Formats: sequence, structure tokens, C-alpha cells
Amino acid sequence: MTALLVLEQVLNGLQLGVMLFLLAAGLTLIFGIMDMINLAHGSLYMVGAFVAATVAQWTGSFMLGLLAALPAAAAVGMAVETIALRTLYQRNHLDQVLATFGLILFFNELVRIIWGPRAIFMDVPEALSGTIEIVPGAPYPAFRLAIIAVGIAVAVFLYFLISRTRIGMLIRAGASNREMVGALGVDVKLLFTLVFGLGAALAGLAGAMAGPIFAVEVGMGEGVLILTFVVIVIGGIGSVRGALVGALLVGLVDTLGRAFLPTLLRFVADPATADGVGASVASMSIYILMAAVLVWRPRGLFPAHG
Amino acid sequence: MSEALLRASSLVKRFGAVMASDGLNLEVYPGEIHALIGPNGAGKTTAVAQLSGEMCPDAGSVQFDGRDVTRLSADARARAGLARSFQITSLFLGFTAEDNVAMAIQAHQGHSFRFWGNAREDETLRDPARAVLARVGLDGRGDVPAANLAHGEQRQLELAMALATEPKLLLLDEPMAGMGHDESQCMVELLAGLKGQLAILLVEHDMDVVFSLADRITVLVYGRSIASGAPEDIRANADVRDAYLGADA
Amino acid sequence: MVDPRNLTRRQAVHLAALAIALLLPAVALGLDKPFFVTLASRMLIYGLAAASLDLILGFGGMVSFGHAAFFGVGGYTVGILFAHGFDGSAFLGLFPGGDNALIVWPMAMLVSGLLALVIGAVSLRTGGVYFIMITLAFAQMLYYFFVSLETYGGDDGLSMYGRSRLPGLDLSDDATFYYVCLALLLVFLWLGRRLVASRFGMVIAGVRENERRMVALGFPVYRYKLACFAIAGAVAGLAGALAANQTEFVSPGLMHWTKSGEIMVMVIMGGMGTLVGPVFGAAVFLLLEEVLSKWTEHWMIVLGPLLILIVLFAKRGLYGWLAGRGKTS
Repeated sequence: MTALLVLEQVLNGLQLGVMLFLLAAGLTLIFGIMDMINLAHGSLYMVGAFVAATVAQWTGSFMLGLLAALPAAAAVGMAVETIALRTLYQRNHLDQVLATFGLILFFNELVRIIWGPRAIFMDVPEALSGTIEIVPGAPYPAFRLAIIAVGIAVAVFLYFLISRTRIGMLIRAGASNREMVGALGVDVKLLFTLVFGLGAALAGLAGAMAGPIFAVEVGMGEGVLILTFVVIVIGGIGSVRGALVGALLVGLVDTLGRAFLPTLLRFVADPATADGVGASVASMSIYILMAAVLVWRPRGLFPAHG
Repeated sequence: MSEALLRASSLVKRFGAVMASDGLNLEVYPGEIHALIGPNGAGKTTAVAQLSGEMCPDAGSVQFDGRDVTRLSADARARAGLARSFQITSLFLGFTAEDNVAMAIQAHQGHSFRFWGNAREDETLRDPARAVLARVGLDGRGDVPAANLAHGEQRQLELAMALATEPKLLLLDEPMAGMGHDESQCMVELLAGLKGQLAILLVEHDMDVVFSLADRITVLVYGRSIASGAPEDIRANADVRDAYLGADA
Repeated sequence: MVDPRNLTRRQAVHLAALAIALLLPAVALGLDKPFFVTLASRMLIYGLAAASLDLILGFGGMVSFGHAAFFGVGGYTVGILFAHGFDGSAFLGLFPGGDNALIVWPMAMLVSGLLALVIGAVSLRTGGVYFIMITLAFAQMLYYFFVSLETYGGDDGLSMYGRSRLPGLDLSDDATFYYVCLALLLVFLWLGRRLVASRFGMVIAGVRENERRMVALGFPVYRYKLACFAIAGAVAGLAGALAANQTEFVSPGLMHWTKSGEIMVMVIMGGMGTLVGPVFGAAVFLLLEEVLSKWTEHWMIVLGPLLILIVLFAKRGLYGWLAGRGKTS
């Protein structure tokens, strides 16, 4: 277990964390401002991936695929919001859970009908298919570095959007007291739709970037959705800062756990047991982390509502 | 003078830049009706929340019945004898009036980890419930679903539920909110009848009610008490006149 | 005895359902369609699982999206013990395996109940949106855990070569197995009714109606919610044990979060807060699944919007529609 191996895994963890952040940022704002639980967020991620893959295949350009995925996901998201989700804002959480669960089933099947049940593969773009030596002697895939860079860029963009612009102020106000925002005469419906669209675009971006790394297939949204939930619970609902911290934590814990737990356990047990137990515990590590955070801070690390 | 049953000392509660409670001091003695009055925004709701345990003060302490309850949860305080009613009616609307009071009786009796026995047919719960309903003037209305009661009756039910737990101190948050004149009068008589049996901290806006019921009054302005004492003294107090009562008191 | 002329609508529905349930195997076998007995057994098993979820969801108001975890763990308890009994080894070197239903089924309930106690202890410290996400996350954690368990089949699942043994009865006979499931379901529905009407049940209902009030009255609400959660988990574990027996197979799919979603749909479809309603809901859901999947492999695209419509318009569920509005709990 060399230092370079550790570094590689840390970078992998950051890359996963950054993708989770893209999903969690939008979702936590939706939870915080609209007090709505949306299970279908993963479906927007899936839409982003499928659109990006398809456009990339048609045009041969990854960039075009990515650029197509953002508005596609945002459009689908806002359409779903206006048509199906508006009625759910006033409803209780159970109704929201069931209705968005229905949406997942619908989207999964729709995608299956349009694109077929098989996974689609996306190629890493030519320009980024090599490796970069960030530390001499340690080549790391350029594409993954690009993802990390994009994630940091988005984090910075969101920071400026939320803390320096007027719309950001409305978002922050909405996250801590949504009734007041309405009372101040803001067109709350429009605000909600825009926030939803932003979240959807980010999800689509994550999906498009995930395409070359993970398979683009039906149901890809659900696995990542659960991880996103864990991130939000750890970070605190309504807080983008919490989403970032939570996402990086989850990304690192999950990646490093899977990579090194079996190896670490070999110090205390035979290889077969170590690998078996290590793999099992590693798969549970982020949930144990979540439980630990909850015991200490039941509302997450940075809850917006305080 | 006997020891204070409920004592709030230097309670501080901040919401961002707003000081909802700014070093609030309050004392309620056993058996007295103590009114808490103040203009809108004075911090009465916040005070009640901190006293009942729904909110934790940023600083200061709350003592009840000789114990420091500042960090004690709301349900623990209720079990210790601090009952409350809500300003906005908070009942079990799907249940009958008698069910509502029986729930309060059950809370007081404990033994709720019983998985057998039909609770609705349990006379040790239903008899006392009917008695309390009668006490607040709701006898005969026991079988009506709480949602179907008139507003005034719902307020009476609010009081009944608090009384059913046999508290040492009753925290009443505007018990007559939304009631008409006659209904209010009934409530006033009811509360007057309770004097001496238990302590009551009454948050109220209606000055006539306050002056007819209260043994002592505390006036809250901008999160702190500006005057506290017998009704005549409060009436005569210049600061209170300026801040609250105006020229007509 | 009940006088037929004075039957309430609700009692009539119950009696009709019971009659159908009792006669079903005879009719199915008479028509030489043994498949219906298998389908009906599934309905009973999922009905039990749905009824257990109704206890915390319909009566307790706790939106747990991870109930399938307890269902699956109950199934795996049976499966794992069966596997060990089969080859004479011991689980973790300590517990001997076996297939005696009188031991293994209660074990399934115990394991699921304890798991529910642990998960509930952490999850119930939160509420609202947090609670839903956390229960979902913990269930998925268990799913991944069992997928990683290569010794017990991992993703491929674990086959049982036969069903559990009940003294005096041959559970490998589908009709016998069906009646055992029916008997257990009826027993638990009866116990559930008593629970709901008891003092404990009152507290749970009160917490659902107005938790703030319950706290103000002095109830240590957390304890009761946790107890309810654990009980529901244990009963789901029994349903899981029966499910494992029915297919003689367990796989992590039993505890996948979509399974939790399906069970929740059964509860809503049937009628929340009635215990019996979810059983109807399970029957209808499984029937729909059978019928629709013959019609098109894309039947899920119908279920999605159907769900949304049910949520928006049909809150009382099928049972409420059939049996009418009865006494509230």
C-alpha cells in the first residue's frame, strides 16, 4: 500500500464526492425550500446520462453531449415540476414519496422503451483520454481530474450565486423560512421552478460526466440517489455547504473504505476472511458514518433551519 | 412568602438579531393566578415555549418545583406537573372529546405499555375523563368528535386536557382566543374556580379578564419584564401605562 | 353468533373475503390451476408484510421507506439457518442450523425485531424528510451488505432445498402451506386489532394525530414509536420467513428499496390505518402485476402514473371503498 496508491484513491474519492455534490446541492435546496422529498431526482441524472450518450454517439463529440444534457435535464425537470409536482408541495411527505416513486417507475420504463434495456456505453472524450502526472510518477486519468475540476467550478459558482446575487438571497431566505419569502411578494412558484431547474441541470451534468465511467443504464439513478440522501442527511437539509462537506466525506469514506479495509483487515485476520468481512463492512461504511453523525447531530452538520 | 413554584431567571433567546427574550425574570407562586401581558411582539410566545420546554433558552434558567428544568424536555416537565394549553387549538381532531381527555388521563396514569385490554372500555380512564369534561362544562358532549365541536367548546377541551393531568402549574396561552363574550365569561368563572387549587400562568390580551382574575401580573415588553406585582400596582405603574395600557386603564 | 340480517357492510366484506380465502385452494385445484394457490399464498404473505407496515405507517404516521429490510432479513434468517442445517455446519460457529419452523420462524421474528430496534433507535431521533431518507438508506445498506455476502449467495441469492418443517404438517404441499399462511395472517390481524385498541395503540394513534400535543401531555413519545417500529419489524420478519419458504429461495432483492416501495403501495391501495385494508391492497397489487405483465412487459409505465393518481385522489383505498367509513381507530 504505497503513498501513491493512497493518493490515487483519495482522488477517486474526491471525484465521487464531487459528483455526489452536484446531485446533492440541487436536492438539498429542493428539500430545504420546498420541503418536498423528491425521489425522482435520480431519474434526472439518468436522463442527463442518456441524452449525453445519445448525442455524443450521433455527433462524435462528448462536449456536445454534455452541453445537450444540461438543458435536456433542466427542461425535463421543470416540465415535471410544473405538471406533476406542483400539487405535491402542499401535501404531506407520504404523498410526495409515493408520487415521486411513481415517477421513478414511469421514467425507468420510459427510458427502457426508448433506449431499450441494454446499457449504453460512452467514450471518454479524446482530449481527456490520457493521464496527467499531478505528482511525478503518479499518472491519474485526465477525465477524472476534469470531473473534480468541474465540481470545484460548480461549487464556486453556487457560492457566488447563493451568497452574492439577489436570487441567491431569495434561495437562502426560502431555505430557512419559506412562508416569509412568499409573504414578501416574491413569485414563489417561479422561484420554485427555477430552483428545480437548476437542481435538474446539475443532476444532468453529473449524469453526463458519469456516463464514461459508469454504465449508462436504466435504474442508474436509484443507487446514486440513496447515496445523495446520505450526503444530505449528513450535511443538513437546505445547506449547500453541508452538501459539499457531506459529499466529500461520503465520497472519501466510501472509496477509501472499499479500497483499503480488506487490506487493513489482513493484519488481523486471514486473507479470505479479511476480504469478505472487509468488503461487507466497506459497503456499509457510509451508512455507519451517517448513523454516527445523526447520533451527534440529528439535523446534520449544517442544517439551514437551525 | 412561600417558595416560587416556577421561576425563570434571566432567560435569553435570540433569533438572529432579534432578542425575543432579553433577560426575562418571572416568578409564579403556588395557588396563584399570574397573568403575563404585553404588546404584540413582546416575546410572550417565546417565553411560554421556554417555560414549557419546547424551546431551549440561550442563557438563563428555569426552575420548577424546586428543580432546575432548563435542560429538561417538554414531556418530562409535563410529567413533573407543568401542563399547558395551546393558543392555537391543538386537539386530537379525529377523536371524540372524551377520547381526548382520556388520552390526557392515560398520560398522567402511565402504564401505556399495555398491549391488551381495550382502552376505550377502560373505566379507570373513562370515568375520570367524564369527570373532567363535566368540570369544564362539556358533560354530554363526550361523544362528539373534537373536530365537530364549536370553537368555544374546543377551547374548553384544551383546558380539560391540561387539567386532566392534575398539574401543579397550568400554563394557559390565551385560553379565550377566538371566544365570544358569553363563552369567555364561562371560562373566566371556570378559571376563577380553580384559584388556590393550582398555580396558573395566564397569557392574555383581554385586560378585563386579566384584572378580574389575576392575583399578580407581569408585564413583558421587548423580551423583558418591566413591571411585576399586584393588579392595582400595575394599573398605577407609569411605565406600564406608557408601554401598554395607554390612557384608558 | 352474527345475525346475517344485522351485518354491517364491513362485517359482510370480512366474511366474504374469509369465505373466498378458505375455499380458494379447493376451487383452484378442482379447476386444475394450482398456480392460483401459489399466487394466493403470495398475496397472504405480502398481505402480512403490508399489514405490519400499516402499523407504523397508517397507525403511527411514520413514513418508513425501508420496511423491506425487515422482510428480507426474516427471509435470510430462515435461508441461512436452512443452509447450515443442510450441511451440518453452524452459523458463525455458534448457532446450529435447522429447518424446524417452530424454532426458525420465531428466530426470524426475533432477528428482524432486533434489527428494527437498532435502526429505529437511530432513525426515530429524526422526523419528517430526514426520517424517510434515513430508513431508505439503512434498508439499502442491508441490501448491499447481503449482496456482498458471498458465503450466502451474494447477488445470486440462496436456494433452500425444501421448506421449513412443521410437526404434523407437510409444508411442501402448496395447499397446506397456503392454509398455514392464512392461519398466521388471521392470528396477526386479530392480535393487531387488539394492539391498536389497547392503551399502547392509543398512544401510537395520538402520536400520529398530534405529536406535539402528546409531548405536552407528558408522553415520552420516542419510546412508544420505537416499540411500535420494532413490533412491525418483527412481523415483517415473519412474512419474510414465509416468503423464503414459498419460493424456497432468498435473494437481496427481497430487501431492495423498490420492494419497500411496493409494500407501501399495497398499504395505500388497500387503505391505510385499517390493518385489513393492506391485505386487500396486496392482493390487488399482485393480481394487477400478474395480469398486466401478461399484457405488456412495460406494465410498470402504467403503475407509475397510476400510483400518482391514487395518491392524489383515492386516499381511502380499496378497503375504504368496499367496506365504507367505519369507526376511526
